[in-house]
Amino acid sequence: MSMGIFISGVGVVGAFGSGIGDLKACLERGAAPLITQGPGPVYRADTSRLEAFVPKKSLRRIDHFSQMAILGAFLALQDAGSPSLAAGRTGLIVCSGYGASQTTFSFLDSVINDGDACASPTLFSNSVHNSAAGHISILLKLGGPCLTVSQFGVSVPSSLLTARQWLHEGRADQVLFGAVDEYCDVLGYCWSRFFGEDDMGIMTPLSQERQSAVPGEGAAFFLLSKDKQEKSGYGAVVDIRTGRLEGEAADFPGGEAIYFLGADGHKDCDRLYRDMTPSGIDAACYSPLYGSLPVGPAFDMAIAALSIHEGKIFASPESVAGQERYRIIKEPSAMAPESIVCLKLAKKDEYGLITLKHG
Amino acid sequence: MNRSAPVAITGIGCLSAAGMSLGENMASLFSGRRRAAPPVRFSSSHPCPYPVFEIPEDALSNNAPENKSVSRTCRLGLAAAIEAMKDAGLEAGQFAGLKAGVCIGTTVGSAMNNEEFYRDYRSGMHPDMITIERFLQGNPASVIAREFGLTGPCQTVVNACSSGTDAIGIGASWIRSGMCDMVIAGGADELCRVTYNGFISLMITDDLPCRPFDRDRKGLNLGEGAAILILESDRAVMKRKTHIRAFVLGYGSACDGYHLTAPSPDGRGLTKALADALKESGKAAGDIAFINTHGTATKDNDRTEIKVLREMLPHVPFVSTKGYTGHTLGAAGAIEAAFTIACLEAGMIPANAGFILTDPELGAAPVVENTRIAKKTALSDSLAFGGHNGALVLGIEGV
Repeated sequence: MSMGIFISGVGVVGAFGSGIGDLKACLERGAAPLITQGPGPVYRADTSRLEAFVPKKSLRRIDHFSQMAILGAFLALQDAGSPSLAAGRTGLIVCSGYGASQTTFSFLDSVINDGDACASPTLFSNSVHNSAAGHISILLKLGGPCLTVSQFGVSVPSSLLTARQWLHEGRADQVLFGAVDEYCDVLGYCWSRFFGEDDMGIMTPLSQERQSAVPGEGAAFFLLSKDKQEKSGYGAVVDIRTGRLEGEAADFPGGEAIYFLGADGHKDCDRLYRDMTPSGIDAACYSPLYGSLPVGPAFDMAIAALSIHEGKIFASPESVAGQERYRIIKEPSAMAPESIVCLKLAKKDEYGLITLKHG
Repeated sequence: MNRSAPVAITGIGCLSAAGMSLGENMASLFSGRRRAAPPVRFSSSHPCPYPVFEIPEDALSNNAPENKSVSRTCRLGLAAAIEAMKDAGLEAGQFAGLKAGVCIGTTVGSAMNNEEFYRDYRSGMHPDMITIERFLQGNPASVIAREFGLTGPCQTVVNACSSGTDAIGIGASWIRSGMCDMVIAGGADELCRVTYNGFISLMITDDLPCRPFDRDRKGLNLGEGAAILILESDRAVMKRKTHIRAFVLGYGSACDGYHLTAPSPDGRGLTKALADALKESGKAAGDIAFINTHGTATKDNDRTEIKVLREMLPHVPFVSTKGYTGHTLGAAGAIEAAFTIACLEAGMIPANAGFILTDPELGAAPVVENTRIAKKTALSDSLAFGGHNGALVLGIEGV
């Protein structure tokens, strides 16, 4: 495992709850709660648990976007056994498709409502993409390398490449790696303009027949290191690939690998999974538990790590459509797959692939 | 993975308000020309027109024609990439069989902040969705990859004002590890009313042309532009038998963990970033010809930066080139890396535009006239919102 990176802690926040325990319960239940906001249903995340880690007064000027990221980061560290972080030797990488979108529009509100000269400096400084990383580094007193990446649907595999580089170059002994995206009303409006208003609220990924994506929000963080962490049991990321397909099927792994497909109810992308995924594989799809958001692959990576930890593959939610080309896992199974491949095919032509194995 | 291996730079492209090519930029720098003026592409209701360094639309159209489906940031990036590819002797179609990626820094280029769209939305109108489609299809790294038919990894770095520096450091890392044979690395950012109002709200914008390191400095002026470096592996250079212009010798990155918008007064993050970059390069302070500083002309930035440079690199000449380009945010680190290489090639660094009086609190002054240099290695550093710091060591020895 020459370029593997080991996972020693996982912290997740989403509509399913917060923490790896809530994610596991949601996987076993097969459903996550939806709320209706604006033009349609949404998967929203609650960050109230953050007060267990950070004094409430310290959170007053931190927006929901960063609060989700901070909670994910603290949960990942707690899950890893709250290790003492060597400030200068801990890297921090955060990725996001949309960034702090609500705060960005709130800043515009301050300009439109009060005039150019009364624009809000607090909202402006929190609207920059790397605000979440900034807040985390301040709260954890980190001093190592720091990076924020925005690559839409492949933000997670793209930035994970750099986490691996830092660990193997020796820039950092461990990397706190995470992904975050938030819902806002403007996003909901854009969703309704692009896709129409779907009041069913049931995601049916891979169906190819129905645009069923429901916007989601949340954060997923991981504590990563180059060296095996005996106690974690989450396994290791052994392969990361991302790039453009250019109309040809990429050389995706086959054999005994189980695929976690990042299909999230966008009809056009469903077709890509039909055409590009290797035939004959066993596959699962969990997006109906966390929703449609650019950093969805981080949740699949968390579920893959949890699957390795638990020694079982969780059932896909009932609404995931069956396929002729490959078998959708509909029942939980005590399986020991050779590897779990988290595959994301993004709308235009980009793909990302993250493979996890037992460490 | 040999972290210390130099990474070849085979082509450079650069555009800013100082010029539409790297050559034009350097001519402006060495002649002391600068073009700060109130913004033309947008208006504001501020009592005074804060100057910016803006690229005229007709000049940009010559290099990258207007295209409704891509953002101005992407057009800037494409224009710089086209110049860099030409400089490297590369043409589209030459990448078959090559592992080629793109790593681009930006800020505005990844922000969903179209003000016109939002005003219409707030008013209950049905705004044209073209602006949102342009945002969704306008990831700068992806746009450049598609333009040149590259199929390797894409990464858009959004580390605020150090994005361009970090993108080059990360691109070099991809080459060293063997992940890529060639990387288009750099930064691009457009002027935008949203960031214009934002920086003014923070009260770190000068209502006169900026004065980096000057006693009476009042803040930055925003600018726009892009710079691209073509990074290639030894294998690719040998295969193409191409000319090497310079090398990325070292890269360092570190956060302050101090404040969201102000640098740590002790400069801890910048100190570590510089130390890591120097260590990786195998160079010492005595090997450095000059430092192309971040030098935004804000009180806090210049104070912290000079404190660190005086401690780590005393007696090394330094300059801020933001007096010629303005602060181009996510593009700044890349533009300044391009300038750094061009200065090493010319054996000369330009005068620090806008500087008149030494600030006794800083206790150091930048170069005040075009100054000859003999050494073959230089530093370029960046400080960013979020408390992030990045540094590059660049050299021309052995090219």
